Parts: sequence; C-alpha cells; structure tokens
Amino acid sequence: MTRLLIVGNGPAAHRFVGQAHRRGYRGTITVLGAEPVAAYNRVLLPSVLAGVLPPAAVALPGPPGTADVRLGVTAVAVDRRRRLVLTGDGHGYPYDHLVLATGARARVPAVAGLRRVDGRPHPRVRVVRALDDCTNLPAGRVVVLGAGVLGVEVAAALRAAGRAVSLVHCHPAPMNRQLDPAAGGMLVRHLESARVEVLLDGRAVEYRRGVLRLADGRRLPADVLLLCVGAEPDTRLARRAGLEVRHGVVVDARLRTSDPRISAIGDCAELDGVVAGRVTVAWEQADTLAAVLTGEPARHRPSRPLTRLCAGGVDVAAIGPTDVPDGQTVLLSDPVRGRYARVTLRHERVARAVVVGLPHAAAALTQLYDRDTPLPGGMLGLLLGAAGCDDPDYEMPAEAVICMCNNVTKQALHDAWHEWGARDVGALATATRATTGCGRCVDVVRRICEALR
Amino acid sequence: MTAVLVVVGHGMVGHRLVQELRSRDTAGRWRVVVLGEENRPAYDRTALSSYLDGKSAHDLTLLGHDLLHDSLVEWRFGVRVTHVDRVACLVTTSDGASVRYDALVLATGSRPFVPPIPGRDLPGCFVYRTLDDLDLLRAAAAPDRPGVVIGGGLLGLEAANALRLLGMRPRVVEMAPHLMPAQIDPDAGRLLGDLVGRVGITAHCGVATQRVEAGADGRVRAVKLSDGSTIEADVVVFSAGVRARDDLADGAGLPRGERGGFLVDDRCRTPDPHIWAVGECAAVNGRVYGLVVPGYRMADAVAAVLLGQGDAAFPGADMSTKLKLFGVDVASFGDAHGRTEGAWDLVYADEDAGTYARLVLAADDATLLGGVLVGDAAAYPVLRPLIGHRLPAAPEYLLRARS
Ligand SMILES: Cc1cc2nc3c(=O)[nH]c(=O)nc-3n(C[C@H](O)[C@H](O)[C@H](O)COP(=O)(O)OP(=O)(O)OC[C@H]3O[C@@H](n4cnc5c(N)ncnc54)[C@H](O)[C@@H]3O)c2cc1C
Ligand SMILES: Cc1cc2nc3c(=O)[nH]c(=O)nc-3n(C[C@H](O)[C@H](O)[C@H](O)COP(=O)(O)OP(=O)(O)OC[C@H]3O[C@@H](n4cnc5c(N)ncnc54)[C@H](O)[C@@H]3O)c2cc1C
Repeated sequence: MTRLLIVGNGPAAHRFVGQAHRRGYRGTITVLGAEPVAAYNRVLLPSVLAGVLPPAAVALPGPPGTADVRLGVTAVAVDRRRRLVLTGDGHGYPYDHLVLATGARARVPAVAGLRRVDGRPHPRVRVVRALDDCTNLPAGRVVVLGAGVLGVEVAAALRAAGRAVSLVHCHPAPMNRQLDPAAGGMLVRHLESARVEVLLDGRAVEYRRGVLRLADGRRLPADVLLLCVGAEPDTRLARRAGLEVRHGVVVDARLRTSDPRISAIGDCAELDGVVAGRVTVAWEQADTLAAVLTGEPARHRPSRPLTRLCAGGVDVAAIGPTDVPDGQTVLLSDPVRGRYARVTLRHERVARAVVVGLPHAAAALTQLYDRDTPLPGGMLGLLLGAAGCDDPDYEMPAEAVICMCNNVTKQALHDAWHEWGARDVGALATATRATTGCGRCVDVVRRICEALR
Repeated sequence: MTAVLVVVGHGMVGHRLVQELRSRDTAGRWRVVVLGEENRPAYDRTALSSYLDGKSAHDLTLLGHDLLHDSLVEWRFGVRVTHVDRVACLVTTSDGASVRYDALVLATGSRPFVPPIPGRDLPGCFVYRTLDDLDLLRAAAAPDRPGVVIGGGLLGLEAANALRLLGMRPRVVEMAPHLMPAQIDPDAGRLLGDLVGRVGITAHCGVATQRVEAGADGRVRAVKLSDGSTIEADVVVFSAGVRARDDLADGAGLPRGERGGFLVDDRCRTPDPHIWAVGECAAVNGRVYGLVVPGYRMADAVAAVLLGQGDAAFPGADMSTKLKLFGVDVASFGDAHGRTEGAWDLVYADEDAGTYARLVLAADDATLLGGVLVGDAAAYPVLRPLIGHRLPAAPEYLLRARS
C-alpha cells in the first residue's frame, strides 16, 4: 500500500485529496497544514476582510474518506534519501510519494516602518493572504498598497463595507498587468465614483505614526495599511531539499519535480515557466495529478489566462495572454458610463479581450475564448449584450438623406419611382436632383433603384 | 417692377444661389447682377486638385450655357467689390463702377490663412485655393524636388497630393501630434500617416514651422522646424486653415462673428434686412461652415426668402468630409469627435489590412451620430445617410457593405 504525503492544506491540496479519493486511490493519505484551521477558500478572503462573510463561511468541506489531516503542523525538511518529511514539532512522516502544495506567501515591500523595533510585525500593517490576516481588522481609515487584482478587489470590498479607503499604486494605471491603460483609466473612474481614493504613480517609502509617506511627498493617514503587492511561491522546502526551483518549483506536464517521487501543484509550482497564482489553475493541476497518480496517462494542459473580478460594482475581465499582437481589434469606449472593451480577433476568434463595465460582454467573451469558437455575429450586439443590431437584411430608413448636396431623402427617391415613373439613376436625378451635386451618392441611388426593381 | 439682386462673389455658393433663384423665379421678379473677383465663372473648388490630374478649367466650370445667356442675369468677372454703402444701397467695384441693389447677397468665401512666420512671402511660397493658385504652383514645380506643405489637415493633404501629381517629393508639416487633427483621433491619425507614407508623402507631426529660408537666388530653399531640424523645400504651400473674407464688413458697418465672417441669423440675414451672407463668409449665429454643402443649404434658404417661397431657418449642417487622395481613403462624417452628450465610440481596426473605422454612437446604444474611416472609406456613402438613425444592421456588416 502506497503512502501519499501532502505538504500544505490550501485549495490545491484540498482538491487533490478529494479527486484522489474519487478516483479510487487506495493507499493512505496524510496532509500537513501549517495553518491551524481546516482548508478554506482563499478566494473569498476579501469578503471576510470586509466583514461581509463570517470566517466560518469560507471553510471547504471536510476531507473525504480516511485522509489524515494534521492542522498546525509545519514541514521543515524533506529527507529524500529516507523518504521522510520532518516537521517543526519534531515528527517524521514517511512517504512513497510526496506532493508539495505549499502555495505562496504575500510579498512585503521595502517600506520603512512595517515592523516594530523588536522585529515583530506592526499591528496595523497586514498582508492579505491567510484567514488570520483577514479577521479583526483594526478600525479606521484603510490604505491599500498595490492596485493589482487583489488590491483593487480588497479596496472595493472595504469601501463597499463603509470604510474610508485609499488605494496606492506605483504605476500610472491599476491592474497594469491585466489591463491596457485606457481600461485601467476606466476602472479608476469606477473606483472613484465608489469613493475609493486612487493614488497612481505613488511609491510608498515610510509608514510612521499612522501616516504613509510616498516618495513624491504625498502623505496619507492610514489607521490600517494593507499590503497587496503580490505573492511569491513558497519554495523554501523544495529548495532546501535540493529540488529544481526557478521562480516556483519546476514541474513537467505530469506535475513531477526533478525528483520522480515528488510532485508539486498550485501556487508553488512552475510549469512551462509560469507560476499561475490562480485557484482555477491550482484545481486543474490537482485534477491532473490525481489522474496521474491513479495510473492515467493525463497531462496538464496549461489553461487559458483569464482574470475576472467585480470590484466596486464594476465587472472587470482580462481574457487571454497579454502578448497578442494587435491585428484586428474592436474597441468600445464610453467614458461617460464607464464602459470599455478592447477585443483582439484572430481568424474570427477571440485572441484577447479586456472588458470593463460590460458584464454581459465579459461573460460572452470568456465563453467564446474558452471554447475557441468563431464569433457568432456582430460585435456590437455581443458587447452590449443586446440582440437586434445583427439583422443582415440591412435597410436604410425612409427619412435618411441620400443626396446631401440636394437634400434628397430615400423617401423622395421612392416617391419619384412610384409616382413619376423614374426608373433609373438618370430619371431619378432629373426628378429629384439626387446625384447632381458632388455625385458621391450615385452608387447608393443605384442600389436603391435596384432594390425597387 | 423687377428688383435688383446683387451677388458679391461668384464661387460655389454664390453660383448655387443664382441657379436656385433663377430656376424658381418663373415670374421674373429679380434681375441679378453677379460680381466676381476671379477672372472666370465659378468652378468646382472641391474638385480643384483634379485640375492637376488631367481636368481642364472648362471641365470644372459650374456655369452652364443657359444660365450664362439668361437675360435676367448680368455676369461681371474680374471685378472686386470694394465698398458697400448701406444708406444708398450701392456697391462700389474695383473698376470704379457702382451698382444699386434692392437685395444684396455676400458670397465672398474665404482666403487661406498664412501664419505670420518669417519668409512666408518669399518667391516659391504658395496657397491652394483657386485655379490661379494652381497655375502658379504648376509653373514653379520641379520634378523630383522636395516640396513642403504647412498644415496636415484635409486640404494640406490634398495639396501634398497635388505636389506628388506634379512630380515633386511632398512633405507635410503638422503642428498637432497627428494628421487631420480636426477630423480624426490619434489612432486613426497614425494609421493615416502610414498610409500617406506608402504613397510617398512624408509627414512631420508635432512640430511647428519656425521660418521659411531663402537660398542664394532669393527663392525658397528650406523650412526650419521647431525641433531644430531643417527640411529642404523648393516650394512651400501654406494650408493652415482659412479665414472668412469679411473685409467689406468694416466699410458697411456690418457686425462680424467672433471668429470672423459676416454675422447673420439662422435665416442668413445680417442686421440689415436687405443684406444676406451665404457660404464660407457667413457666420451663422456666429458659426462659420468650411464646407460646400452647408453653403448650398444657406443659398437655398436665401433664394426661397427672396422669392417669398418660405422662411426656413438654416438647419445647421453635417460636416462630413471625404479625402479624395489617390489611394488613401479618409472620411469623417457627422459628430466625428463624439461631442454629443452621452456619445461613445466603437472602433474597428485592422493593422494587417491598414483600416480603421470609428463609429460614434448615441447614449441609446443604437443611433449613429458620426464616424471616421481611414484606409477604406467604401462604407462612407452607406453610413453617412444613417446619421441620426438607428443602425439597421451590425456595424461589421455596414462597414463591409460596398456600394
Ligand atoms: C485574498 C485572495 C483572493 C484571491 N482571489 C482569487 C480569485 O478571485 N481567483 C483566483 O483564481 N485566485 C485567487 N486567489 C489566488 C488563490 O487563492 C490561489 O491561487 C490558491 O489559494 C492557490 O492554492 P494553493 O493550495 O496552491 O496555495 P495556498 O492557498 O497558498 O495554500 C498553501 C497552504 O500551504 C501551507 N503551507 C505552506 N508551507 C507549508 C509547510 N512547509 N508545511 C505545512 N503547510 C505549509 C500554507 O500555510 C497554506 O495554507 C486569491 C488569493 C488571495 C490571497
Ligand atoms: C482644394 C480644396 C478642396 C476642397 N474640397 C472640399 C470637399 O471635398 N468638400 C467640401 O465640402 N468642401 C471642400 N472645399 C471647400 C469648398 O470649396 C468651399 O466650402 C466652397 O468653395 C465655399 O464656397 P463659397 O462660395 O462660400 O466660397 P468660394 O468658393 O471661395 O467663392 C468665393 C468667391 O468670391 C470671390 N470674392 C471674394 N471677395 C470678393 C469681393 N469683394 N468681390 C467679388 N468677389 C469676391 C472669391 O474670389 C471667390 O471666387 C475644398 C476647398 C479647396 C480649396
């Protein structure tokens, strides 16, 4: 009977255990989780932070079958020769196969004053990564540092919960890794209309006495400072064990590390040079690994990049890789109502899309992109989520002015046809003076003439 | 009793007025005196460039045989009106004659604006407005030599194309960051820069012209730009906009619009009930229209009033334009800048095909307000009549529709 040992008890590990069980894996499963709480859905933490969800609401269902989950246990070393994982509490856990699902750790920026003199974290400074970070948030004005996906979401959620919130970003536009500058600008408008104060091009240098100081001299009162400047794969264990690590723990399409008895999944794994950092990817990797370890010839297919979030009541989506060349693009820009979409097409398919404030479009484009299907009809209808604009039997309204020079409407041409028997362009010209000015409408008049025939 | 209508200026709009009046005045109420400064009758100025592309002055003329020999119209070319005496109802002309009027229509058009930079009067500097201007330019053109057009608007590009037709190597200097800033947005402007580049027109955008420099022979030799560079030029064509020809306002004591032009109401009437202004010289409620179609609308309205056949207000006008450059399509129509409240943009761009289409839509998400087409303007005649109407089909379909 094989012994499976999993280090880490986040979404990746949780999903893997469930999938292995479902696939009839028959050995023993042991999970070591450093956090003292059962596995939970990290994606929901912004709601916990904002007080919208109680902490208990984010818990994931308990492990199926006989999996042995040890909470509050941290693995500190892997003895690959003896196939043993050593933990902080002095125990050793043997394995036949080891799965690293250690996730990622929040990055802490180089800003003076984030720690107290004794080296302990400042009580008013938090990262947003673990459940523990998100409970009992001190009262008062919040400054969120970093306007990536997480920072934007956190700022919007706290604002919606009634907090005074400032969002500081060191680039000229928020979510600059996902959005183009115009979409970023649109997002700023939305955040500002939700009364989130947005400070761009601002580099924080010091937090002292409840004030965050930026490099350009701007000063922000901050009763709470939330650090949302990204996460780093937690590769400490793998590195110490001598596994190949670049940014993350390097794995192949079967999620195997440089040691065939050790796999890695989720936020700690690097596949094809990419550390995804997204829960959907963690799940897919968990599924693939469960298949591989139960003897199926599965391979992980890198999933298609997709970011969607709803912040401050606005839907934001970045679909597809950022390095798609421009080619054919459709752009919708409506600053007044905060709507924006830039869709890049290849062979009539969505190659990339950035969408702000158009929830229907975000959903439809995501679907088209995921399924790689050709666009069904006109883009305008798709973007607005409205049908009706796609009628191919195109007809000009009767009151449309066809000949600008002589102010001749389509109706006038019809009348001339029916009442005066003007049956060709020449006769219509004599009857109505259409085409006798600059002459540029002659083709349209001809077409109307043909339609009447 | 026949009354006398004096028309000052025989350009496109003055001509339209005479034509319209004569075709409707079956009772012969008016005798018309037309006083035109140019030495020839009105011609199609919008087709001016074709004069360098094989068309003759005769081809472009607007005055037909019947109207020329109409006994109720007196044509006088090569005379400029120098003064209007509103008390005596008399106009004085450059040849010393004076003509009494019962009604006076000013249709003096506009003149090119030449920015006040040193060297602008040197031999080799031209403007681009009349057939005479083109004759001068043609005489000065030297094959394979560089020519510089100052101003990258619609007319500047036409002038650049004219230089190309004359065998010269044209360059355009535009102060704005991209070509045709009045009509199109930066993305379209960049694409346009690429496209005109492909037909051999080099654009220098985002720079001002500091001065025109003379060579040893005293003729134009180069143009110095604000970025410190100097570009060689055998000829320089100024195309930096136009100004209404409203000089007669002073002597006549007529008011001007804020941006020039004879100030008229929405009936094209000046404060003097016997005097109207139409075309590019008119500031209708203060606004000057630099296109021929609005001028036609004004002429039609005034003709109707003169004949007591209606009192319709000039409705304002569509400022659609289409560049007639060989091989480069550009069109702008309706509210191309999206100035209507609640307007928004839908852009279809294809880098590979070199096309760009921007549609401006109304707040109802369905009504077309205007647009810009670059690289392919085949949809222009389809889209323009739709201004103010709900799009009847998917924009892709309309853009692909070819007449
Ligand atoms: C606030 C927030 C919101 C997010 N929202 C989204 C979203 O909307 N969409 C999306 O796709 N992704 C989102 N993410 C990212 C998503 O949560 C991660 O991709 C996902 O959690 C990865 O799961 P994981 O199991 O690989 O890693 P983690 O969730 O990081 O779990 C790893 C666990 O392993 C434990 N561990 C680490 N080292 C050891 C050790 N040596 N011994 C024992 N235990 C150890 C850690 O304590 C941790 O509990 C969000 C992340 C955060 C923080
Ligand atoms: C190269 C070029 C291309 C163009 N292309 C287009 C186009 O594609 N579409 C478009 O809509 N418009 C275009 N235009 C603009 C269009 O030609 C004008 O809007 C139109 O000619 C205006 O007509 P008008 O009668 O008001 O003025 P003009 O045509 O300028 O006529 C005015 C006439 O009055 C004469 N005059 C002036 N003062 C006196 C006086 N005191 N006494 C007697 N006579 C006088 C002038 O000499 C002139 O002959 C173009 C213009 C140019 C130069």
